[in-house]
Amino acid sequence: MMTDAAKLSPMRTRRAPALASWDTAVGHALMIFVSLLCVFPIYWMIVTSLRPSNAIFSTNLWPDAASLDNYAYALQAVPMTRMLTNTFLVSLAVTLVQLLTGILAGYAFARWRFRGSAILFGAIALTWLVPLQVVMIPNYLLVARLGMIDTLGALILPHIASAFAIMLLAQSMRSFPTEVVEAARMDGATHWEILWQVIVPNLRGTIASLAILIFITTWNEYFWPLLLTRSTENSVVQIGLQMFISSEGTQWGPLMAASTMASLPILLIYLLLQRQVIASFMKSGLR
Amino acid sequence: MTDLSADTAPRRSARTPRPLAPAKRFLRILRPYLYLAPAIACFVVWIYEPLAQAFVLSFQQWNLLPTSPKTWVGLDNYRNIFDLPKFWQALGNTWYYLMGLLPLAVGLPLVIALFTQDLPARSRNLYRALIFVPMIVPPVVAAAVWRWLLDPNHGILNLGLQGLGIEPVEFLSDPSIALWTITFITGWKLVGFATLILAAANAAIDESLIEAARLDGATKWEIIRDIRLPLLSPTLMLLVLMVVLLGAQWSFSYIHVLTEGGPLGSTTNIYYLLWQFGFGSLSVGWSSASAVILFVGFGLLAAALFALKAKVTFYDD
Repeated sequence: MMTDAAKLSPMRTRRAPALASWDTAVGHALMIFVSLLCVFPIYWMIVTSLRPSNAIFSTNLWPDAASLDNYAYALQAVPMTRMLTNTFLVSLAVTLVQLLTGILAGYAFARWRFRGSAILFGAIALTWLVPLQVVMIPNYLLVARLGMIDTLGALILPHIASAFAIMLLAQSMRSFPTEVVEAARMDGATHWEILWQVIVPNLRGTIASLAILIFITTWNEYFWPLLLTRSTENSVVQIGLQMFISSEGTQWGPLMAASTMASLPILLIYLLLQRQVIASFMKSGLR
Repeated sequence: MTDLSADTAPRRSARTPRPLAPAKRFLRILRPYLYLAPAIACFVVWIYEPLAQAFVLSFQQWNLLPTSPKTWVGLDNYRNIFDLPKFWQALGNTWYYLMGLLPLAVGLPLVIALFTQDLPARSRNLYRALIFVPMIVPPVVAAAVWRWLLDPNHGILNLGLQGLGIEPVEFLSDPSIALWTITFITGWKLVGFATLILAAANAAIDESLIEAARLDGATKWEIIRDIRLPLLSPTLMLLVLMVVLLGAQWSFSYIHVLTEGGPLGSTTNIYYLLWQFGFGSLSVGWSSASAVILFVGFGLLAAALFALKAKVTFYDD
């Protein structure tokens, strides 16, 4: 090791330090530009939301006189609190249910060999090839038949299971040490007990990052609520935002205040659990 | 597994007779399916059965009202759709979206990932945290914010352009620009995420390969071309695959919030057309027929891309 390092280090330094620092400078410049591009719109949203209405078109990069008027207006113009609560409840319910079905299905795939398991796994994995827009009319009809149009339940039902949760959990359960499971079997534990008392507590890291991902995805969802909600009381916040946008003249201050409120829970989760959020999104691929 | 059953068998035999009772054996066979039942039921009820139903509806004419009759029209819906200029326009737009999205969501992230690999860890982590923000922001919020930034009269971007003496640009209502605006916003959401995926793959490349090439006198560019790019090809293909298959879906929210497919249908892609057929003009047959065309089309495309991925990608192990 020592000799290797000794042999290699001159190579690194010989490649002119000036060149290396030039590369680094270009790298920094590029990253600062892209970072600004990514964050400035969100910053601008918050700054605009804090401007009093007579200064809404100000181009100062800093709000001169912060005011919460836009928030007060947004809260009374549409049932914002109600919508935020709805969104929270739906996201929480979907997270819990998807974890439950994912844990059960993942265990079945990881623990047992059974007839049709490969076909079932394939059928689950292929669901991502079916876009929501392709099945939206039959889904809409089904919700209508159930008499659930314009209910929060309708926003939860289609999300009872997710292919990604199942595949991720099946994969991490497969790599779970079999000795631990077998030891529990010897002690006379049933499969049900092993799953909930041995495996789930040990996979809490995976389960937690999956939960974050499901929660954020459900919170951000737009298409399904657009299809199935009618009244503002039973709507989610993503639909509520649209009420501030109109072709005749958008109320920018309240719209930015409402947008800030609609993204605040997500931004808070991100602020607190940044590493886990990034890791769980990267695991999920782009969906 | 074998010695486990050998070990527990004597103990179990104390409680139950050695050959399991039929009911119990049946339950044992059934068990995996019971664990899978909730998930499978969900996928059958909300995805596969609706897919079959969409197929059937595509041969019928119906206006979504429960009281009005469904009439069987055979292939008429398909014939009408293929005769519709709007359909070809939407298909063309879908193509433009993809062509615009690929450089933003694959090309640019690749450049950034390669350029920033040597940055110090601390600043790299900060950048990572910042460029990831668009990914988690709700799409409707992203649409609202960009609408504000791009507003022709008061948006900061146009004010900045005016400062430079450039006429305000109608980013969302000029038919020749609106599609690219939507593409840009879709790409803005993805750029940080794709960069992180590629940076992770890039960091996983075995340093000794790079070091060996360097000792042989390879330039930085040669290392990128001959070592890094081939080793990044599986990740690149994966990103391309995702952008091609899902890109048009991602732009739905932006289209709906920002342009509703206009002006003059210039931002309507194939997914938005489905929405307009189904819930704009309540023509279930047309919407379902185009859904079937879309599903088959993208299915073939996916198969082709998977085949290509298997052929093109290069693994070092």
